[in-house]
Parts: sequence; structure tokens; C-alpha cells
Amino acid sequence: MLDARAWGVWALTVLVAASSTRNPLYVVLLLLVTMAVGITCAPARNQGEGMALPRFAIVAILAAALFNGLTSRLGNTPLLHLPDWLPLLGGPLTLEALVFGAINGLTLTAIFSGFATFNQVTPIRDLVRLTPRAFHDAGVVLSIALTFTPQTIRNLNRIREAQAVRGHRVRSFRDWLPIVVPLLVSGLERSMGLAEAMVSRGYGAVSDQAQPLHTQGLLVLGLLALLGGWVARMFSSSWRMLAVGTMIAGAGLIASAVWLTGRSVSHTTYRGHRWAARDTLAVLGCGLTLVMLLLPVPLTDQSTLYYSPYPALSWPIFDPLIGLGLLGLLIPATVSARIRDRSEDDPL
Amino acid sequence: MNVRRAISGAIYALSGATGVLAFAYPFFMDARSGRSIGLAHGQDAPLVTAILVGLSLIALLVELQGQTISAKTVAMLGVLVATTSVLRFVEVAIPMPGGFSPIFAPIILSGYVFGGRFGFLMGVFTLLVSGLITGGVGPWLPYQMFTAGWIGLTAGWMRKIPTPGSRRLNGPAKFGRWDLGLMSAFAFAWGLLYGVIINVYFWPFAAGLDGQTWAPGIGLHETLARYAAFYVATSLWWDVIRAVGNLMLILLLGAPTVRTLTRFQLRFHFKVYSTDA
Amino acid sequence: MIRFDRLTYTYPRASRPALNGITIHIGTGEFVLVAGRSGVGKSTLLRCLNGLVPHFTGGTLRGSISIAGHDPIAEGPKVLSRFVGFVFQDPEAQFVLDRVEDEIAFALENGAVPPTKMRTRVDEVLNLLGLTALRDRSLEELSGGEKQRVAIATALALRPRVLALDEPTSQLDPQSAEEVLQALVHLNRRMGLTVVLAEHRLERVLPYTDQLIYLPGPPARLAEEEEKQPVLSGPPRLVLPRMDRTPPLITLGKQLGWNPLPLTVKEGQVFAEEAVSSSRYQASSSNRGPKIVKSKTSLQVERLSFAYDDTPILRDVAFAVAGGEIVALMGRNGSGKTTLLKCMVGLLRPKQGSITLDGKSLIGQETAAICRKLGYLPQEPDDLLFADSVAEELKVTLRNHDLLDTPPVPPSELLDRLGLSALHTSYPRDLSVGQRQRVALGAVTVTHPRFLLLDEPTRGMDYLAKHELVRLLREWQTEGVGVLLVTHDVELVAQAADRVIVLEQGEIVAQGPSVEILTNAPLFSPQVARLFPGTGWLSVEDALIGLGTGKPA
Repeated sequence: MLDARAWGVWALTVLVAASSTRNPLYVVLLLLVTMAVGITCAPARNQGEGMALPRFAIVAILAAALFNGLTSRLGNTPLLHLPDWLPLLGGPLTLEALVFGAINGLTLTAIFSGFATFNQVTPIRDLVRLTPRAFHDAGVVLSIALTFTPQTIRNLNRIREAQAVRGHRVRSFRDWLPIVVPLLVSGLERSMGLAEAMVSRGYGAVSDQAQPLHTQGLLVLGLLALLGGWVARMFSSSWRMLAVGTMIAGAGLIASAVWLTGRSVSHTTYRGHRWAARDTLAVLGCGLTLVMLLLPVPLTDQSTLYYSPYPALSWPIFDPLIGLGLLGLLIPATVSARIRDRSEDDPL
Repeated sequence: MNVRRAISGAIYALSGATGVLAFAYPFFMDARSGRSIGLAHGQDAPLVTAILVGLSLIALLVELQGQTISAKTVAMLGVLVATTSVLRFVEVAIPMPGGFSPIFAPIILSGYVFGGRFGFLMGVFTLLVSGLITGGVGPWLPYQMFTAGWIGLTAGWMRKIPTPGSRRLNGPAKFGRWDLGLMSAFAFAWGLLYGVIINVYFWPFAAGLDGQTWAPGIGLHETLARYAAFYVATSLWWDVIRAVGNLMLILLLGAPTVRTLTRFQLRFHFKVYSTDA
Repeated sequence: MIRFDRLTYTYPRASRPALNGITIHIGTGEFVLVAGRSGVGKSTLLRCLNGLVPHFTGGTLRGSISIAGHDPIAEGPKVLSRFVGFVFQDPEAQFVLDRVEDEIAFALENGAVPPTKMRTRVDEVLNLLGLTALRDRSLEELSGGEKQRVAIATALALRPRVLALDEPTSQLDPQSAEEVLQALVHLNRRMGLTVVLAEHRLERVLPYTDQLIYLPGPPARLAEEEEKQPVLSGPPRLVLPRMDRTPPLITLGKQLGWNPLPLTVKEGQVFAEEAVSSSRYQASSSNRGPKIVKSKTSLQVERLSFAYDDTPILRDVAFAVAGGEIVALMGRNGSGKTTLLKCMVGLLRPKQGSITLDGKSLIGQETAAICRKLGYLPQEPDDLLFADSVAEELKVTLRNHDLLDTPPVPPSELLDRLGLSALHTSYPRDLSVGQRQRVALGAVTVTHPRFLLLDEPTRGMDYLAKHELVRLLREWQTEGVGVLLVTHDVELVAQAADRVIVLEQGEIVAQGPSVEILTNAPLFSPQVARLFPGTGWLSVEDALIGLGTGKPA
């Protein structure tokens, strides 16, 4: 299986791809790609979730279409004409508006599909391992929470039974009290025991000394830059590049604050994931997609990305090269399929 | 020391401002924003806001972690987050109307008893863990985590509000009727607000306000009105149920829970930080 | 190697010190057993070894401690973790991660051990405890004994020289406890690891103990507090005679003046044979048997079967409990004892069979209704406690059953009998383990049930608390209450039960008076029975009476 970091890059690429175009043909292609990857790469469980995606798709597309149709009064092909006195809804209901809304819903579905796949293919443990060193404590909190969840469920059942034994019936909100309070208290008491065990095994806080002032300073400057750049970008179109640059600088400052904090963590990691060739391949595929979509590559027609049904409905144009770029996201599927074949050959 | 506090304050303020701006940007966006690098007409905005919110979340986390976090805090957080996430399963198992979610009440109460910083961390991690468990990791997660964090943080600040009939001099404050009423209202308000904020995230996708050039003169007022329409149509009902649910939970279960948590705090001499958030 | 010098420690906001002027020496490679009642300071003493006291707990400490040349007070737990490994009581509350391997690595990660070395260390430690097969397993799936062994492994990951354990087997069943203790003995003997162990079940470890440290209770009179707390320490045979409560074998040995004091049944058999042959002994059958006339009520179970997802758990179980008798239900872990109890109170629905109380069927009734007549004490009594005061707990049950205005037993009277009158306004969760159990007992008996079902009531309890429980059960017995007692504790059964039922893999394999069952099943034999085979004696009193040297019961 792919490294969790590669999957993270993949998911983000899907997000960017979906955000970068309104051409329904591309969006449908994206959707199909994510579904294909999901089917080939996900472990063979979760049969019950098979209906989740189509259900979401139908709801999203219909709802978005309807909403946009009702509120936007642009477009040349009116289907209905709602009485004008209705606030906000009055006016013509146009086909173009419906289509526009439907495309929005489709985009949302593609994003949903991408992240659903991401959820299925990365086991939670691996996601937790991704925590950067600066957030070591956060990673431990996550691990504890995940480890304690099955135990807490068992406790919940046991407590319910114990209260039933003294005549307790759950009929209203208030009746949850005899269950929630022991659950809470026993959990808290256990947590103190856990804290003792952790301390006995050498667990010390990330920074036993308070954070150096310069790290905090970096954070402030970074946030300031981020905020300032963003505001500038929104409100004035002339300083665009500068604004974006400031934002990127702000992000960089925050990243360096994180890195600095990470450096002061004195602790090593067992079993870091090894980055394999197939991970690099997958990331390259994502890179290809990004390049084809975001940069003006010669021979491609970037304008096909900006499809709009207004003012009059027309057929979207499909540029095969950009389509090929989108297929870069399919690489994880091919890589994993090969692995699965190979493992089927191995004698058990 | 004062410099440090000023800087802490600045970090809170800036990240809060980023959050508010992320929430409010659709209302300010210039319909004629033109193209950014390679992306369609300002359609990158949702992506950018997600990244921005994510970064301010990271900044806040780094800031909070900078103070000494003891093993007790870590263990307690982990267990409380587990407990709250399990309650979320209950939400799924027992069909409840609308947006009712039992996870906000524990976040609010923990923030109230253990302080704003603890509440923030609790909010952030609870949303993360319950998201991970229920397979709901998506681009909306930073938004949820960020908002839930602020719920916990502000719950801690509520402690400082003097209400009639509570002792605040030495020992732990009593959780009297006024406090109960205050926190119930607080929970109700956040129930609504949470929905409003998270909805804003989905709105640009569903409504696609950009790319639709319309007559000039469309400005803040119109956009606000459209959003209000969107909100009423889609999510108001959901959020009212969530808000009412929060209110009921706090009203009915709040006092004993606060007592239990306070007792625990005393028994284990548990103090998260020496200075309050 | 370990040295405590006039150590005095007081918990924060406590009125008296938990440890007062303790002076102890422990040499390298010793196996040390720390004994004493609950709450007397054993846990505190152990936590001084690795600096948890005072760094984790707060409070004030005077005196000095030295562990292998290090000072835990000055250096703190993080540094001491390399020299002292610690294992706690609750197997459920020690693990941060989910997999065995990862958990062991946690300590290594904290110690910033280079990744290349980590793998070897993990292998080494897994090997040491025979856990290599469990390497990839999820901690959730392991048994209690396996979990505790993993806990020991994690404590040993940083290669400490001392291993401290705070009642590691009290939550475990006898087989698991044996596994864990054998592992400790092995570590001590083969690896030369210094082991400091706090335990209630002394009999298992006494044969291996080099030094026994006994902490007697706090002095009765305030004036004596000025003096140092008298701590007894030394080889077991020297300390045991001066201890209050000891395992049956030792107690018997002390009473009969056996010298040198035997620590195992094997050592005691020589003395036992001699005692038997040289005195006028009588077989004890008349000492056992129902103490009062059985009352008419009876709880009957017939042909009960239960399966979970097609796996049969109970097969054709049939037995009866009459009012006024105490019946013990024994069996190995997983034999279905708890399932049986749950079927009886309606938490589970049996596939077939009948459960009747005085002829009326209980199957299909709601648990709440059943529990008015059948009191059930679950394995974790803490699950019941949530009210603000002890008196309130009793009232909650009454309210649930709509009996608040007409209680079958006045709550104050019940509290009196349970010895909790002085504590009726206390917060239940602040009380000791034994006290909390009694509060829970009060909560389920306030409806004056005719039968009582107890699930493992003596887990983690010291001799005193067990004694209290037996006293209570006997009182109830004289009032005609029938008791079904699920337990692993053979000595408890020997003292309290009239009849024994043995369950194995869901089927009853033996049923009969306790004398018969306990003397015939080697797995369930109390020490006295093993010492004196063929006599039918089960407890110390039996033996003393039988040998003609004790007072009649």
C-alpha cells in the first residue's frame, strides 16, 4: 500500500483539481478516477458503504441545481416564471442556472469521493504517525483517544447494565446522567493511572522549558502576513502578486515556527514509514495533474477549464491533453493492482 | 512576562480574525475579482480559506503546546476525547432529529471547568478523532476543528463572568442557577453559530456565487440576503435542533457534570496551567 | 542498592503522613515483597522508588532515598525511568498505543534511543517474557495476564535495574496471576533483576521472597505518631510471625508452633502429618453444612442454554439455590459464569431453559423488575456509583423502583449493617475499595431482595475487607437470604460457601457440598485441604478444631 503521505498529496490534488475547473466533462472524469482508485485500493471491507457515494451525488446535484436555479436569475432559457413578488425567488427559473447549480453539486461530489477514498485507504494509525515532531504531544493525545475508544464503549455497556440492575430505565435525557457520570469519572480516573504509567516510562512534556520567544514571534509575524496578504488580495486587484507573495511568506514563517518547535523535541520514532518507489510514482502522477491544470502548458487549451453555461447553454469542450493530465491521479490504482496480483501468486 | 502575554494575545487575536474573515469573505468578495494564477474566477477561495484556517489552527496549536503540557493533561485529554467521541456513536445509533450532537456539551463543560486552553484542545481533538473514527476526514475538517476549538476556548472565558451567588474568592466557584442559565444560553448560541459557520464553507460550492456576473451594484447587502436565504432553506432547522439539544443537555446534565469534574480536579490536584487563558 | 532513610511523606492537604520515618535497605538482586493492609502506604512506598512521589503526586517529603546511586527526589521520574521500571495494577489503564510492539517502543522513543537500536531492544524484551508470538497483536485482544506481561515488558524496555510492581495480579484470575508471578521470578532469578512487589496474595510469592517488608497500620493513638512508623523487614520467616493477617498455611503454622515456619504446602506437609498422627483428630464433616434451616424460597435454573452468534456459551445448565444457603460458582476464565448471572437477571436472553423464582418464571421480564427480587452486584461496583453521597445512592435505587416512600428496609438501618453510617454523607468515589463495594451492595440490597448474586466480589481486596464481606454474607444468610457467589477465590469459598458448583466451558461438571468439591478438585483446593488430605478440613478453624487445639466455631 502507499504511504499515508502519498495519499495525503493525492487527496489534496483532487481538491485542487476540483476547485480549478467548472467544465463538467473534466469533473466527471475526476469523479470516475477517484472512484476507480477507491475500488482498487481500498481493503475489501465496507460493503455497506457502497451506497453512500451515489446517494450523496444525487442529493448534492439536485439540491445545488434547485437552489441555484431558484436564486439566480441569469441565463437565456427560462423554464418557469415564478411570480415577481416572491422575495429573492421571484423571476425566471432558467435552464442555465439549473445547469450551473448541477455542476456545483457535481464538483462537491467529486471532492467527497476523493476524500472518501482517502479515508478508506489510510488506516487511522498511519495518519496519526504523520504528526510532525512539533506536535508530538498532540499525536500522543490522538493515540490515547484512539486506543481508549473501544474500551470506553465497553465501559458504556457495562455501566448501562449496572444501572439497569438497580432499576434504572432510560426514558429521557435526564436518565442519561447515571450512565454518563460513572463513564466520565472512571475514564478520568483511568487517565490518571495512564498518566502515571506514561511518566514512569519517561514521558516528559515536549518542552519542559517554556517556548523560546522567537518562535512565538515567528507565529505572530506569520499570522499577520497571512491575514494581511489575504485581505489585500480580496480587496484590491492591483497588488495581487504582492498579496499572494505575502501570504506565502506568512505560511513559510508559520512552517518554520513548527520546524523550530520540532527540533526541541528530544524523541525518536520507531518504524517510520519507508518511502518506496511506488510512492514517488504516485506523487509524480499528482504533480502531472497539477501541472496540466494550473500552468499554461503549450498545446493545451486552458480556456476549456472555464466553462460557463451563461448566457446560453452550450456544449463543453474537452481537451484530451488536460484529460490525460487528470489521469495522473489514477496511478495509485495501477500500482496497487500490480501489488495485489503479485501477492496472490505468493503461496500463503 | 508581559511581552509573552502580549504575544499570546496577539496570536489568539490574529487567528480569531482569520477565522472571522474566513467566515465572512463571501460577503465581501468582489464579483469582479478576475483570475488568479490559473484558477477559475476566484473559485480558489474555498480552498484558500481552508488552508488559512488550517494554518491558524496550526499556529494556535504550536502556541498552546509551547506552555508546559504535563502527562496528566495529555492523558486526560485523550480519555475525555475518547469518551466524547463514543458519545458521538450514540448520536449515530439512536436516531435523533436534525443536527443534534452530544459532543458539544462535554467540550463546553470541560472548557468551563479546566480552562480555556484545555477547552480549545478538547474541541480540536474531539472533532478530529470523531472525524477519523467515522471516516469523515475532508476539506471541511479544519473548519470544524477550528470552530470547535473556539467553542471550548470561549467556554473557559465564560468562567470569568461574575454571576450573582457564586463564590469566586478562594476555592472553586460554585455552579449555581445563574451559571447554569448562562452556560445553557451559551450552548444554545454556539449550537446555532456552529452551523452558520460550517455552512458558509459549503455555500460557495452549492451556490457558486462567483462566476455569475450579474448587474453591477450587487454588493454586500445582496450577498448577505442570498446567504440568509441559503441558510434558511438548508440548514436553519438543523441548527436549531442542535442548539436546542445543547441547551437541554447543559440544563439537565450540566450541574452534576461540573460537580463531578470539579471534584476530580480537587482529588488529583489537577491544574492544567498556572495562569488561565 | 536501594536505601530509604527516615522517609516521611505527606500527601497534599492530608492531615497525617502516609509514610513516617521509614528506613529500609534493599540489596541488589533481591526479591522483595511489600505487605500490609489496603491504604497503609504500600503504593506510596513503591512510588517513591521512581520519583512519582513527590513529582507526580505533590505533597511534602522529608528524608532521603537512594536508588542505585541516584536520588529520585532530585532527579525526577524521567531520569529514574532508566533505572526503575514500574508496573501498575490495572491492565487496562497502562497503555497508550494499540499494538504490543508499538507500546514497548513508546518507552524507547521517550528515551530518545536511536531507531537502529530500538528494534533489537524490542526483540530482546519480547523474548525475555516469552511474548514474541504476540508481537503484532492488538492489545485489546489479549488476556489480563498477557497484558500485564506486556506491561512488564514495556517497563523493562529501557533496561532498568529495579522493577517495582504495585499489586499487578489483583485484577487477574488465578491462572493469569500465576503466569505473571512466574515471569517475575524468572526475571529475578535468571536476570538478577531486583524486584519490589506489593501484593495481597502472599502465598504465591512467599517461597521466592528474599525480604518481606511489612507496613503495619497507622498507630491507634495520636501520641504514637511522633515515633517512627514501625516497619518490619527481613527474611519472611522472621517477619511473618509478627504480622496480623497471613495466609492460612502460615496462620496455622504460627498457631501450632511449627518451626521453621513452612512457606509452601510441601514444606508444611511434614508438620501436618506429624500433627495429625500425634493428636486426637476428628474428621470435620459435622462442622460443615447449612447453618440454619433453609427457608422455603428457591431460585431454580433448568436446562439453560445460551449462545452468542452461534457459539454456545452455556449448555443445559441446571441447579438451584435455596434461601439461607451460600452457593459458590467456580470455574476457569471464560467458562460462562458471568453469562449465567446475566441470564438470570435478564440482561441476556437465553436460547432455551427456564429460570424461576419460587415457581414464577423470570425469563422475559425486564431487568429492573427482576432486580427488585434478585440483588446483583456486578464485577465493577464502581459502575453503579454516581450520586453525591452514600445515602443518596441508596435513595436512587429506591426512587428507580418507586419505593422511596415505602422502603422495604429503612436505608439508615442498612447503612448501619454495612458499617457505613459514619460515612453516609461522603462522596462514594472518595472511599476505599472495600467501602465502595459495600455502598454498591447497599444500592442493590435496599429493596430487600431474597437472593443475592455476587460477581467476583473479592477482586483486589485485602484480608480485612474479605473478612467483612464474609461476615455480611453470613448475617444475611441467617435471615434467609440465598447467595450465589461467583468467584475464583478458593479461600473465600472455603470460609463462606455451603455448596459449590463448578462450571467448565458452559457445562456444570461438578456440584455438591463444598467439602466434597474442594477436597476432590486439585484446581480448587484451599491450602488447608491440601495440607490435610482426606480430613475434609477446609479452613484454619476446621483444622484447629479437628486437631483438638482450637475453639469450636
